[in-house]
Amino acid sequence: MVENNTVSVSKGVFVFKNNFKHTSMLSHGNTSKMFSKNLWHKEFNLLWNSISEDIEVLTCNMFSLMTKDLLSYIRQAYYNSSVCEIPTAALLTGINMPDHDKQFKNLKRQIINDVSPHVALLNSQDCSSVKSLMDNMVYQFLNNSGWDKSSNGNFGNNFKKSQLNLSLLERWYENLYYTKNKSAQPINKNLLIVVLPNFESFNIGVLQKFILIASSYLQKLPFLFVFGIATSISTLYTAFPYHVSSKISIKVFKNESSIHLLKKILENVFLNSFCAFQLGGKIFNLFTDIFLFYDYSVNNFIQNIKYTMMEHFCYGNAMALCSLDRNDVKNTLNIFKSEDFENVRHLKSFRQLVESESYQNQINLLTNDVYLKGVIFENIVILQKYIRRLHIFLRCLYILVSDLPGHPLGKHLYELYATCVSEDVTKTPQYQECLRLLSFQSQNNLCVKLNEIVAILDESINKNSKRTQMKEFYSKIKDYIILLNDLNDAEMDVVDESISPNNSFTNCTDRKSLKESLLLRTKSRMEPLTKYAKLRKDILETISSNFEIHLVQPSSLCFYEIFFFDDISIQNKIIGIHRTAIHTALNDPQVYLQCNCCKLNNSHSIKPKMPDICITYKLHLECGKMINMYDWLQAFLCIIDSSFNAENNTNSKINPQYQARFTRAVAELEHLGFIKSSKRKADHVSRLTWGG
Amino acid sequence: MASKQSALCQTFPCRENQIQQLWNLFGHVDEVFPPTVYIYGGPSTGKTAIVTKFLEILDIKHAKVNLIECYTAKILFESILDQLTGHELDLSTGAPYAKCDNFMDFIDHLQKVSEKFGLSRSVIIMDKAEELRNMESNLLPGFLRLQELTGVSVSVIFLSEILFEKYYFRLNIVEPIKIHFPQYNKDELLEIISLDFDLARELVANNFNQPIEFDRDFFRNYLNVFLSVFYRACRDLSELRHTSRNNFIKYCEPIARNEISMKNSMALWKNISPILKSSLDVLYLRVTTDDSKRPLENLAENIELPFYAKYLLIAAYLASYNSVKDDKRLFMKYHGKKTKSQHDIKRKSKVSEKLNTQMGPGIFTLDRLLAIFYSILQDKVGFNNHLLVQVSSLVELQLLSLASDNTTLDGRKYKCNVNFYCIQSLSKMVGFNIRKYLSDFSHM
Repeated sequence: MVENNTVSVSKGVFVFKNNFKHTSMLSHGNTSKMFSKNLWHKEFNLLWNSISEDIEVLTCNMFSLMTKDLLSYIRQAYYNSSVCEIPTAALLTGINMPDHDKQFKNLKRQIINDVSPHVALLNSQDCSSVKSLMDNMVYQFLNNSGWDKSSNGNFGNNFKKSQLNLSLLERWYENLYYTKNKSAQPINKNLLIVVLPNFESFNIGVLQKFILIASSYLQKLPFLFVFGIATSISTLYTAFPYHVSSKISIKVFKNESSIHLLKKILENVFLNSFCAFQLGGKIFNLFTDIFLFYDYSVNNFIQNIKYTMMEHFCYGNAMALCSLDRNDVKNTLNIFKSEDFENVRHLKSFRQLVESESYQNQINLLTNDVYLKGVIFENIVILQKYIRRLHIFLRCLYILVSDLPGHPLGKHLYELYATCVSEDVTKTPQYQECLRLLSFQSQNNLCVKLNEIVAILDESINKNSKRTQMKEFYSKIKDYIILLNDLNDAEMDVVDESISPNNSFTNCTDRKSLKESLLLRTKSRMEPLTKYAKLRKDILETISSNFEIHLVQPSSLCFYEIFFFDDISIQNKIIGIHRTAIHTALNDPQVYLQCNCCKLNNSHSIKPKMPDICITYKLHLECGKMINMYDWLQAFLCIIDSSFNAENNTNSKINPQYQARFTRAVAELEHLGFIKSSKRKADHVSRLTWGG
Repeated sequence: MASKQSALCQTFPCRENQIQQLWNLFGHVDEVFPPTVYIYGGPSTGKTAIVTKFLEILDIKHAKVNLIECYTAKILFESILDQLTGHELDLSTGAPYAKCDNFMDFIDHLQKVSEKFGLSRSVIIMDKAEELRNMESNLLPGFLRLQELTGVSVSVIFLSEILFEKYYFRLNIVEPIKIHFPQYNKDELLEIISLDFDLARELVANNFNQPIEFDRDFFRNYLNVFLSVFYRACRDLSELRHTSRNNFIKYCEPIARNEISMKNSMALWKNISPILKSSLDVLYLRVTTDDSKRPLENLAENIELPFYAKYLLIAAYLASYNSVKDDKRLFMKYHGKKTKSQHDIKRKSKVSEKLNTQMGPGIFTLDRLLAIFYSILQDKVGFNNHLLVQVSSLVELQLLSLASDNTTLDGRKYKCNVNFYCIQSLSKMVGFNIRKYLSDFSHM
């Protein structure tokens, strides 16, 4: 810029556009780059990307049914020409608010792709009045004109806010779809779709007016509304009086419940043998509890799992071994450095491994990296097999126990999973109870269940591999099914006739022997072991013995930490406890500041080096309902000013710097809501919290 | 001219009087238009349709604005000017014909427009004129004296659903000429809806495979039956027309199935009357779902809430419908023995109108809500953010409503919005005995 440009007769301020660019994108790249060289981060990225992709696909499919209905409704809404009410789709979405955003964005994208490029998504916070709602909607329609953006350009930007009204929209729409000859029917008129994701939080009065206005334009502008309703359809009826509700015709669509969605995601993404990262029982229970008790939000659930994964992989390069591919593990081990092996040695289960070995091997394990490499590889392969089988047998077990009366092992697969990874499920009393109940199963039921098990095994067994335990189990079950089918009901006669009834009581000479023989008889009658019962017993025993081998708890295996994460201490990071956090920050700042100067011996002591607000906070804890400002200031000065002496300094001047610091700290406390200025007593503030 | 009038009367039957009045006011070429006309009558009595059609037929230049749409006066002025000048919005700038921020600007521009385009014998129609009461106070008197103020012979027609007397709280009002559009009576309704005959034919042809030929008498028969059920509940023409269309197909169904002959009107009546009765229940609701039979189903069965949110809602209900002084007795384990006072004895014989549960929700603070929540919940729960978020999401769902303003961070006050039956089924779901904790029922 030339200097002369700013020479002016009058005094003025001149604006120079500099070349400043926002660096947020750059810095963001730096943080992810910080870890990108680490092995564990690569592995994490790989795994998380595949998981999030799976989830994306799954959620799309889940909603696709409803979306398909909705889209076909939208397409047909203006099919017959005489529409005098605004067609309205009411989506009952369920209350899990955090999930809605994504769903509605998806919906918008699909509508743009499939039906109409004109979609306006209105948020309640932008629509506090009719005017702002209109501005917002018209702006969105004018600017997101979909695919033919290049031809029209973003001309919406040229308008002032006050010009964005419906007559402008009407003009714009005519320009798009009506040819010069206005009488001719427009070709391929696209609908104007208005989506309100959260109906409940809109101002009802504004919405009523909006509907009336839109309906007055209905002949020229084909509007269609999509309301997302979180509670129930009756909110819609209560919201609108007749003269408004007669302007819309409602069609209700129902979402699938979020519990169902969670179940689907868990079963298809996390609880299968393709996902290397496994959640431990405690963590898993924590997450499902948060879901069921607090928020019903699938999105939060997934974010929680993501956080856990980050925490898991942060441990170090040892976690790079968390892969279900044997070759991957081999490659990773080959590029391991000695500190990486050291990282592995720090794992808890490594110690158990060392202790169980002979002396020579112990030394080898602790010092020889090459030897350790071999051991790790062996164990990882064992773990990989274990995880694969764990999930297969888990599903088998689930089929057996899911419909038992009383659900001793839980109704859902995820409940079963949580038990299996936290303890040996076969040793629990619930499992025994299940076996007992299973031994009453009818032939048909059992047959159906066995068939289902075979179907699962069918999917997961590699046909080409050599004979394994799995294959054996598979063929055994198949044999049993054949046997079961061969059993005819006609053959239900008694098999076990070893205790042939003595058809006479002749040898009973006295009462006692008669009684005994009668008792014996009733006993033998009690258990008429039919062929089926015998077979059933065999089947259950076979299955149960297999469960005992494969459904062991993961902590019994070496290096299980690489695949399983079960550190419950992250609970505090997942569930925010704001009051405790604020109290800790003010009471013991060292926890957050991590400095040595604020270290406290006991929680009541106050150090002058602490931040001012902490000092005032701790002092105010000692006071009652009302706090005298002057006393407070004195106490404050006592602490920060070592030369200060309360007794003889009553009339001396207070250092204004200290007083300013004090005033500021008090203002901060007031801002945080701990104190409030009081009109009842002069120079006093009232305390808003109680307890120390 | 008279032919035009009779054509209008034919498209809008049963409105001969009103059309005649309009004709007298606007129909004569050599007479001056009246400055203002006020047309009023209930919803769907044909006000807007007749006036617009009337002006179109007579080829009178007019601007029509719907006041609902004019959330600011600026839009009102500018759209009137745009329509009178035939100005088309330029899509590159979006500028109106002229900028009008206030009434003075409007008058000024109107005069200019009049010089340019000649505005004598033109009309401004203001639909939904009752909105004028909520708009700026100078608008109504201004438009009533528009001719006087501008010196241009523009006449204004107001269309409204309310009596003109309702505007009297504003001063300086000139009485306009009034035309009343009364409610249609049963015969008139029958007359008008039977205009749907062609449409009904089309409808039947679209819905059934084999064509059913019917004559006007058959359709009128149906309408007679239909109106005998609905006329008492609803006089709104558009609603009746909508419902009659929906039910006509059902009326014809047995004929299409060859079960009942078209002549047998008695059997048809027997067939349709339960259907009409049930659709009387969903009158005005405009539902097109299959389960339209029970549109107002129980909220509690439909809504899926997390476990603690359910308890929070129950606690909110208890806080709303118990008085504060009963809290100690209801929620504390050792509240000491209570001596019976005269008051308590009186309370037992409380009439149902004085029950707390009948008195409407009381306001409670967040602290009280949480205290009750922790007292009714068996297991120990930490006080954390997830829980607080639940409170605000209940507010968002309008199950609770905020009774204090948003500015106070501390000591927010709430009100519970759900009714007893909803809470009862909710507490049944979580296995909680709500009656035990309501002071109205606890002594029973």
